[in-house]
Amino acid sequence: MGSSEPVGASRPEPEPSAPGREAPAAEREPLILSVQHFCIHDGPGVRSLVFFKGCPLRCAWCQNPESWSPRAQLGFKPHLCIACRTCVEVCPNKAVTAPGVRDHGRCRLCFTCVDHCPSGAMVRFGEPRSVESIVDELRPEFPLFRQSGGGVTLSGGEPTMFPRFAADLARRLKAEGIHVAMETCGEFDLAAAGDLLASLDLVLFDIKVFDDAEQRRWCGVGNNRIKANLRAMVAAAAQGKGPRVWPRMPLIPEAIDTPRNFDKWGGLLQELGIPRMTLVPYHNLGDAKRDWLGISAVSLVKSDPDRTAAGHPRRVPGVDSCAPGEEVF
Amino acid sequence: MQAQVARSAAPADFPEPSERISRLRATMLSTPYSVCLERPSLLAAFAGSPEGRRARVEHPLVRRAMALAHIFANRRPHVYPDELIIGNMTSKRIAANYYPEGGSVNILEDIFRLERRQIPLFLTPAEKWRLVGLGLRGLPGSVAGRALLKPGRLGRFLDFFRAKRYFITEEAGVGHQVGNYMMAVRQGLRPADEEAAARLAAGTLADGTPLDSDTTAFFRSVRVTIDGIRKMTANLAAEAEREAARPDVSPERRAELLESAEACRHVPYEPARTFLEGLQACWLVHVAMNLEDFEQGMSFGRLDQILWPLYQADIAAGRLTATRATEILASFELKTCETMPLYSERIDQYFSGNGVAQGITMGGTDADGNDVTNELSGLILDAYAQCRTREPALHVRVHAGTPAWLLDKAVRVVQLGCGKPSFFGDPVVVRALEEVGMTKAHARDYAIIGCVELASQGRTYNSSDACLFNLPMCLERALIKGRGTLRTFDEVVSAFRAETRSAVDDMAMVMGWLEETYRVWRPTPVTSIMTEGCLAKGRDVTWGGGLYDYTSIQAAGFADAADSLYALKKMVFEDRRFTLDEFVGILQSDFRGQEALRVELATRLPRYGNGQPEADAMAQVAADAFSDAVRAHRNTRGGQYIPGFYSMTCHYGFGRMTGALPDGRPAGHRLSNGLSPVDGVERRGPTAVLRSAASLDSRAWANCCALNLKFDKKVVEGPAGRHALASLFRTYFAGGGMQVQVNVLDADMLRAAKEDPASDPGIVVRVAGYCAYFRDLQPAVQDEIIERTAHGLE
Repeated sequence: MGSSEPVGASRPEPEPSAPGREAPAAEREPLILSVQHFCIHDGPGVRSLVFFKGCPLRCAWCQNPESWSPRAQLGFKPHLCIACRTCVEVCPNKAVTAPGVRDHGRCRLCFTCVDHCPSGAMVRFGEPRSVESIVDELRPEFPLFRQSGGGVTLSGGEPTMFPRFAADLARRLKAEGIHVAMETCGEFDLAAAGDLLASLDLVLFDIKVFDDAEQRRWCGVGNNRIKANLRAMVAAAAQGKGPRVWPRMPLIPEAIDTPRNFDKWGGLLQELGIPRMTLVPYHNLGDAKRDWLGISAVSLVKSDPDRTAAGHPRRVPGVDSCAPGEEVF
Repeated sequence: MQAQVARSAAPADFPEPSERISRLRATMLSTPYSVCLERPSLLAAFAGSPEGRRARVEHPLVRRAMALAHIFANRRPHVYPDELIIGNMTSKRIAANYYPEGGSVNILEDIFRLERRQIPLFLTPAEKWRLVGLGLRGLPGSVAGRALLKPGRLGRFLDFFRAKRYFITEEAGVGHQVGNYMMAVRQGLRPADEEAAARLAAGTLADGTPLDSDTTAFFRSVRVTIDGIRKMTANLAAEAEREAARPDVSPERRAELLESAEACRHVPYEPARTFLEGLQACWLVHVAMNLEDFEQGMSFGRLDQILWPLYQADIAAGRLTATRATEILASFELKTCETMPLYSERIDQYFSGNGVAQGITMGGTDADGNDVTNELSGLILDAYAQCRTREPALHVRVHAGTPAWLLDKAVRVVQLGCGKPSFFGDPVVVRALEEVGMTKAHARDYAIIGCVELASQGRTYNSSDACLFNLPMCLERALIKGRGTLRTFDEVVSAFRAETRSAVDDMAMVMGWLEETYRVWRPTPVTSIMTEGCLAKGRDVTWGGGLYDYTSIQAAGFADAADSLYALKKMVFEDRRFTLDEFVGILQSDFRGQEALRVELATRLPRYGNGQPEADAMAQVAADAFSDAVRAHRNTRGGQYIPGFYSMTCHYGFGRMTGALPDGRPAGHRLSNGLSPVDGVERRGPTAVLRSAASLDSRAWANCCALNLKFDKKVVEGPAGRHALASLFRTYFAGGGMQVQVNVLDADMLRAAKEDPASDPGIVVRVAGYCAYFRDLQPAVQDEIIERTAHGLE
């Protein structure tokens, strides 16, 4: 624990982007990783999730490493490859030398290989999408949202990296009477996200390591701003000026799931008057995706499936906790 | 025994089973399967008896009734410990009945390895010899033998062993009825018996038409049959009394046995007086119906409606509690496990699962459309939660007025992972039944036959599982025949429709031969008594006596046909990547050297099941080709042919016979299942699958459809999963959905999907923070999820 070496993102990414140093995001159109339907653990009712691409954090345990970079990325799913070598043949820059093997210097990310890959082994992470096209894709689900008391959850990645676009999307959905939630790591410019927050019903606020230096070591970014944002948003919600804030904490062994960390968060949450939160069990199943991106196949944090939220030995002091899907929002 | 009792505790949210039910369940789960030879032995004995010789010169209807009455009157009654509903289905605790008139002879294919089959059957060596003897002697007298062992028809007989384009299940029997249990419980069989006597005395039908020899024979067959049933129930009552008289029987059990005996001396001839008698009447008639034709799909109808007044009266009188009613229902439901189908392993490819589907329908509306869900609808589900057995089949009708508590309870049962109940959308089902001539009131009184098929309960003679049909093979044949001549996509569709029509025509001709044979050799007087219309017309159901009469044909490989049409349109006629002849050549070579193309076809094109209108439009084309071909026919009873979209497991059997398809399916691979998308092509989740299915015009599908959704347990567990599923169903049915059933997957299925990714039916698994398609996960992750599922870990 004494080391100050960062734990996450231990190998350079193919398309490197330094943690926390993204270009001013509000100017950029986001890429969307995917829209996932029939989700029931990310807010009330049955929901669809819109995954934004780009995240200021680099958590060592991240399950969605394809969401780190805000740029489009090329991935390779070896288990789908049929070794037809179409990717090698069609590459205009001779960057693909064998299925799954790519000279990053030559690759211009033109995605010709993805367009021609018959099996779907070559994949593009991140598509530019208009607000209209996303709403159109979501619209057939509206009756189910209304029936189930569900809605749409903006997720990622970090939607607040694209406050204008995310606010647009949220507003459009609100206008149709759809409940909108957002999942956030909390690391964002609160002033720039004002419009976005005003259009949301619920924020699922990830809290991780309490100690600033420790969080920086595990996630690449400290958490002073995260805590400040949490305070401000909870205060705003209390005055009816912002969306409801619901903390969620992933149970990462060593990093988060420690008595000391729990006690410290308990102090802050009690001070803020937050009665309930979610404890999210952890599995290192995101490792497969790291492999697809060529980041690292090594398990950075061991999962401990015996630690279930229900049977969790500890509670954040003074706060009722439950498992995802068991919340009463 | 202690451990078994402990293991069978009810899942949370459901009332605990009594010790009696736990013991009964343990017995039903641990009893080995066998074949009962009592019925064929009694038939053979009857044929050689003086009475049997007299029967030979009788009218076919009377001859059959005499033989059946002989079986009813002479079978040995068994009363088993603990049961509250009595009446043995066979001579053994769990066994398949043997029907020499039907297709049971197929079991001889497995005669040397009965104990080593996947579903083992245990018989003594002597019984095996008997089985062989009965089987071979019975063959020429079977319906298939009589109809098809003739010059010019032998090829059709052999089709039974090499089914390609269709599989005529009606060769084994018609079965598949929802008898008039409302009548059997509330009036008893006496009115039918007296009506038959009155008609014979008057010499006319009720409308004054003079009786002829056929109608006279029909009324005689009714009386002979009811007499046989009364003897059977009297024998059973006597056995219960004998059992009660045993000195080692406890006073409580003695009282129960005497109550059962009293019930069997009263029902089903007289109207039931109590809830227990109501269920006992249903069971006794059900046994008679099973012994008559064959065991498939014999269903009880809307038991919550039928038994409701008896239940209310018993509760009001303080004779019954909800807990006791649940126990009686559980005992009843466990009785349904006494029977099983008799399939050789070869036939089992087509109808796997060891099910006979004795359906119970819950919920729905009255004739005016008002919801009639009642407390019993829930108790039937509670009782099943205590049993969790392969039988019975449970069906829940859903409409806008369905109370939330029923849907919630039904979804709780789904969460148990037994694949039950299935759900039906009242508006769309009723519309389809009206479309084939039912009045609105009768359509609204529909109940499920077996798995998904439809009847207005007690009024319908539907040969509902008459034949299964290989739809993609019609496209395959059309393409091969059309090489060099088909120039446009419209011409391809026309050729496909023509080929479908011709295969259905061919099948209908064979069915006609069978129907004629049924009328002479295998009429069904019990079913006729239990079907409105027969007494009024003086005709057996096989002679067209039923108020509504249908023959139903089901399509297998529906989505494969749909997606193949789309692929042809896109690759050949829009993108022009191949000529049709080149493409057909590639298919005939089973994509030899063209794996990249095959994978592209399978993974990159729009597919039915993703809410994509262009692909779903082709699904409608495929469905209409089949519906139109089927609806063009009437059976020889005058009844309409109607289509259904389910496949049992014929999609495996047919798949083996079908060549490579344009949607990238290799030759020999299984076909798509029922109305479900091709396995593994749904990429937008269950909501898109349901949207695609509900978008189809199902007005012609009067025999319904089967749409399977598969979920990893993690996705649908707990209150959130329950709420999500209930909402999903409500939205689906509000949007025009007809039927849906949900499979909650266990570790074994996931293991199979991992070992053979081609077998992965598009399983959605919850991976920590997100849901994913199982096939998209790396092997190590798959292992972890299998482990998790196996151990029930979060």
